[in-house]
Amino acid sequence: MEKRLLTKDAFAAALERLAAAKRVLGPVQDGDNVVFGPLEPGRQPALGYRNTRNAPKNALFPHTETLMRFTRTPKGVECAGQGDDPAETVVVVRPCDAQSFLLLDRVFDQPGCRDPYYVGHRERTTVVALACPQPPYAACFCTSVGGDPVPAAPAGVDVLATDLGGGGGEILAEFLTPKGEALLSFFEGQAADGQADARKAQAGEKARAGIRSQVPAREVLPILQKNFDHPFWAGLHGKCLACGTCTYICPTCHCFDISDEAKKDDGVRLRSWDSCMFPLFTKEASGHNPRSSQKERWRQRVMHKFRYIPENFDLVGCVGCGRCVLNCPVNLDIRKIVQDVAKI
Amino acid sequence: MACVCAERDNPYLPIPVEIAKIITEVDTKDIKTFRFAFVNPEDEARFAYTPGQFGELSIFGKGESPIGIASSPTQKGYVEFTVQKAGVVTTALHEMEEGQRMGIRGPLGNAWPIAFLEGKNVVIVGGGFAFTTLRSLLNYMIVPEHRGRFGKITVVYGARNPGLLLYKDELEAWGKRSDVDLHVTVDKGDETWKGREGFVPAVCKDVAPSAENAVCVLCGPPIMIRFTLPVFFELGFSKENIITSLEMRMKCGIGKCGRCNVGNKYVCKDGPVFSFAELDKLTPEY
Ligand SMILES: Cc1cc2nc3c(=O)[nH]c(=O)nc-3n(C[C@H](O)[C@H](O)[C@H](O)COP(=O)(O)OP(=O)(O)OC[C@H]3O[C@@H](n4cnc5c(N)ncnc54)[C@H](O)[C@@H]3O)c2cc1C
Ligand code: SF4
Ligand code: SF4
Ligand code: FES
Repeated sequence: MEKRLLTKDAFAAALERLAAAKRVLGPVQDGDNVVFGPLEPGRQPALGYRNTRNAPKNALFPHTETLMRFTRTPKGVECAGQGDDPAETVVVVRPCDAQSFLLLDRVFDQPGCRDPYYVGHRERTTVVALACPQPPYAACFCTSVGGDPVPAAPAGVDVLATDLGGGGGEILAEFLTPKGEALLSFFEGQAADGQADARKAQAGEKARAGIRSQVPAREVLPILQKNFDHPFWAGLHGKCLACGTCTYICPTCHCFDISDEAKKDDGVRLRSWDSCMFPLFTKEASGHNPRSSQKERWRQRVMHKFRYIPENFDLVGCVGCGRCVLNCPVNLDIRKIVQDVAKI
Repeated sequence: MACVCAERDNPYLPIPVEIAKIITEVDTKDIKTFRFAFVNPEDEARFAYTPGQFGELSIFGKGESPIGIASSPTQKGYVEFTVQKAGVVTTALHEMEEGQRMGIRGPLGNAWPIAFLEGKNVVIVGGGFAFTTLRSLLNYMIVPEHRGRFGKITVVYGARNPGLLLYKDELEAWGKRSDVDLHVTVDKGDETWKGREGFVPAVCKDVAPSAENAVCVLCGPPIMIRFTLPVFFELGFSKENIITSLEMRMKCGIGKCGRCNVGNKYVCKDGPVFSFAELDKLTPEY
């Protein structure tokens, strides 16, 4: 494994060079926000960012994606081919978001049923993670859900970059996988020594101590298994607007809809993000709706992340990025809800 | 031109089919059985299914609908679905004609547990148009190659009125067989109806199949299930030995879109077939 030390400017320049050669998605300044989006050639990556407002799942599971095309023939409308091939992509994300890719893998890359679109994006995507020596938000709780702001050797990350601080800002870049090493030529810098490792370990300790939100994410599993019908659920969603923001910005939420769009003789079948927080999500043709009120829908959101995914994969379905906490228009806070569940 | 829809490694691409035959099943005309022939003959082997599974019927430009497979794999050369007109996709399907092409994704889901049924007496109980995959099971069990693998076969099938009974020709043929104990009932008959009248639960009570080495396969509207279950519990059937099929709104059919999630299962992938013992372990959200 190759490790290099670069100045912050050199690191930013490397990303710019990369963006000129490949499709790079990462933190970019957009008005007052830093969003996860295309780093257009010549554009500076917003490396001083905290975390992007939107999650990077868009890179692997686009907001809207063409599943197939169809066309009219004398025999009727017939399939005319699948969507476009995915492009080679480099994503620049935080460690929690890199961890979210591992959760998406569990759904889309199941043995015996691989989603060819997702797998196609995934195979062509190189993950560059920017460690968080200064955890960005009070709402961050990655350490409660198996994450680490400055991970030693994170699974699913190809290049890990850690800002070691110092004068001009010094970045330790670790090329962890063959995919990561393929990018070596873009990152000019000196070979890193054991001292850099020690500084990284120190930064990690400080970062972990800096994460103050503690959520009993694992501990609530047996409580959730027993309390599906608890009165608690009736009291928690009162303010919820069913706007779906919490699920759209969540890096691990993956529900989608499939719809057809036709123009004259040609058309496409698309999939687009959907949300279990929407009233019609489970409404059946008969009119029956198994989750007929926001109470059932909020319970589903909590159960899916903190009970069903742990039951199926022994992982928590949340990476502690805090986005849903920061962006809910009525300040519903999943940390508080999980803390309250622990007290049931 | 080889259509990429034939590529098996993409579960979202439908298998191209042609409508070979349309049978209007009921007097109200809003339930039809569609017989599909595979455009590429080799696709028939790819569509190898077991009774109880379903497919996503795919009309390009309109969308897809999950529908249970109504034919039995013992019927070669085609596959059948019985569809009620309900909304956008099913209405478009009802307007299609023989000879037109569309697509099917599948087979999807688990299936009736054939191995579990083997060597046992099987009681099939169906209400309304949910009888479709039960018909598939029955036709599978009664062919000469398979009949010996199952014990006594009892069927109770009910519809609201005689005009709503599906598969009328087959009902007559099954009724004539000595190795199938068939009981057809309607909630209310008409002047031509000479058969049984009464609700399915009452008929089951009457027929009183023995629970000894028997499995009940039960499918119908929720209200029918609610009143039929106690009858079978009283007859001594355990929850392990009563099996049903769930319906949920679905999209992907392969456990990805999250829509049919109930507890830690996906109805499209882990179901639609569950025993009542398994349903007890799921969260009651269906
Ligand atoms: C496993 C399984 C097996 C089935 N087997 C059969 C069978 O053998 N025969 C049969 O006839 N039916 C069967 N069904 C039911 C069948 O799938 C539905 O009747 C069918 O999908 C209706 O589709 P549609 O497009 O015609 O209706 P739609 O036009 O989709 O309308 C259905 C309802 O969904 C709602 N809806 C529409 N669009 C949206 C949206 N964008 N968001 C939220 N809600 C929306 C509306 O409330 C509408 O009432 C089965 C279902 C399942 C799950
Ligand atoms: S963001 Fe807040 S208001 Fe909107 S659906 Fe989620 S919990 Fe409800
Ligand atoms: S549930 Fe909230 S905190 Fe957890 S991963 Fe999703 S957006 Fe982040
Ligand atoms: S229909 Fe998509 S998960 Fe079941």
